[in-house]
Amino acid sequence: MKILIIEDEKELLVTIKKYLESENYMCETADSYFAAEDCLSVFNYDLIILDLTLPGGNGLDLIELIRERNKQAGLLILSARDSLEDKITGLDMGADDYITKPFHLAELNSRIRSLLRRRHFDVSNELIFNDIIIDTDSGSVYINGQKAELTRKEYDILVYMIVNRNRVITRDALAEHVWGDNISYADNFDFIYSHIKNLRKKIEKVNGKNYIHNIYGIGYKFTDE
Amino acid sequence: MKLIEKTGRTYFRISLLALIISGAIVYFALSYIFRRALNENLLSDIDAVSRTITEKNILPSYFPYIEVKETTGRTNAEDRISDTLIFDRDEQESIPFRQIRRVISANGKTYLITARDTLPENSDLAITIAFVTGVVLILLLLSLYLANRKLSLRIWRPFYRILADLKRFSYNDPGFTFSPAGNLEEFIELKSDLEILTGKIISDYRMLKRFTGDASHELQTPLAIIQSKLETLMQLNDLKSEHYELISSAYTQTIRVSRLAQTLLLLTKISNDQFPDRQIVNISVITEEKIIILSESYSEKQFTIEEDIKPGVNIETNTFLFESLIMNLLTNAFRHSASHATIEIILDENEMIISNSGPAPAFDTEKIFDRFFKGDKSSSTHGLGLSIVKEICSVNNWEVRYIYENGRNNFIVSF
Repeated sequence: MKILIIEDEKELLVTIKKYLESENYMCETADSYFAAEDCLSVFNYDLIILDLTLPGGNGLDLIELIRERNKQAGLLILSARDSLEDKITGLDMGADDYITKPFHLAELNSRIRSLLRRRHFDVSNELIFNDIIIDTDSGSVYINGQKAELTRKEYDILVYMIVNRNRVITRDALAEHVWGDNISYADNFDFIYSHIKNLRKKIEKVNGKNYIHNIYGIGYKFTDE
Repeated sequence: MKLIEKTGRTYFRISLLALIISGAIVYFALSYIFRRALNENLLSDIDAVSRTITEKNILPSYFPYIEVKETTGRTNAEDRISDTLIFDRDEQESIPFRQIRRVISANGKTYLITARDTLPENSDLAITIAFVTGVVLILLLLSLYLANRKLSLRIWRPFYRILADLKRFSYNDPGFTFSPAGNLEEFIELKSDLEILTGKIISDYRMLKRFTGDASHELQTPLAIIQSKLETLMQLNDLKSEHYELISSAYTQTIRVSRLAQTLLLLTKISNDQFPDRQIVNISVITEEKIIILSESYSEKQFTIEEDIKPGVNIETNTFLFESLIMNLLTNAFRHSASHATIEIILDENEMIISNSGPAPAFDTEKIFDRFFKGDKSSSTHGLGLSIVKEICSVNNWEVRYIYENGRNNFIVSF
């Protein structure tokens, strides 16, 4: 899976690249409009992460080029410009998703996965972690061969955790993923605890294993270690 | 006091004073002229009488006007002029007279001639003059009033127009201009000074808004870097709990700053009217939806939530802005309520009331909608939520107010 990251902030570029490489994606980077143009005219990518504010040109203009040269590529827009108009223009021009700065790396990872799956790359619609199998098409969860009945929120949390397995997931990122924009109004995450508690119980009831580990003060880690 | 009233009063005072003085002058002048004319008449009467005595040796008598008596006085004495009172039997009152007495010698005898004529009563004269003065005063004031009215209608018209313009001046209105100032120099100067002043206010306001917007915008990228670095850092193996503690604290504060910047950006955008997209929105549905979301987040506080939401209330507004409005008001009520409090939400076409039970606030509630105002200084919130509410109401021409009543904090939005 080959990803092109177009982002002018080198610090951010490096962090995203490292993060995605640890997820076993092959990453190439471009830190300006022209560098991006060069990459796009020579190589093919499965996914392009595009920052809209670039030195040398407007990121929106690159969308046209991407759609011309890399028709099948998934396109995720990344920008500090959280204005509604840019979002709508970007999506109208053929971007698949939009994420605004600052963002959680776990959220970026989750969006990339679902985007690649939507675009029918060889990402399986089955998400597997040990004895947990999630069919993301039908939204069914099987633990130890048994169908688990999860609420919508528990399902979202579980998918998010498995996509970001073996990593520390912050409560903020989790809450934001499940709650969406409404999260900025929350001042405590107690509601997340209760969902996690229920989810943990449902998994343990079937296989007796606790995959959700608390990380002090930060959040959780979904792991079998 | 209005300008026309003030000038009217001043004119009235000055004219009154001038007329009183001129009345007195007229009074004295008239009585002087009158007496002089009287004296001359009396002297000519005496001349006539003495001629009659000398030439015809007749002693005329016409009491009280002409009286001739034989006397022993000296003839070379001067005429004596005096005022006297003579009782009138017909009218049963004393009447003032002016008399001139002269001693003459004629036909070997000495006579005392007295010529008299009635003096006008002073009070009659004064009353007449006062009456005339009064009439003049009334006519004068009437004409002044009419002239003044006409002046203020015509000459002051540009002034009042500029004043009215100033009243509807809003630093948000890009098309604001003053009405023409007419051709009077003072008003032209006033207008141009006001134009400079309002221009400065508008440009300062715009600059401030742009600054807030740019600053918040520029914060996003460094914050994104810090956040991603912290997220990378927390993935390292072998971290101890004290490391997590430090990372967690830095991470939480980063998110706090980032939310603050986003909220400031939102405030700027609202006041810049950057949400022009308006449609008919079913606010009943949105309100109910947001109540469910927030109730979940605050479930441990076990609030009693009372809803009186009229179904299908449609209002033309921007969906995102209405969502922000309702979320901020609800969050405010949920956040500041103690456990087991009652939260009430009432909604119909005309207004929305969100209230929560609790003690009266200990701070000045006038400032409740001010930016960065926090009732509880130690609160971790940024104090911008209600400013957003106010700003959203203002761009929608809604009114929002806060009242504390019957043990409840009420926020009322009138659509």
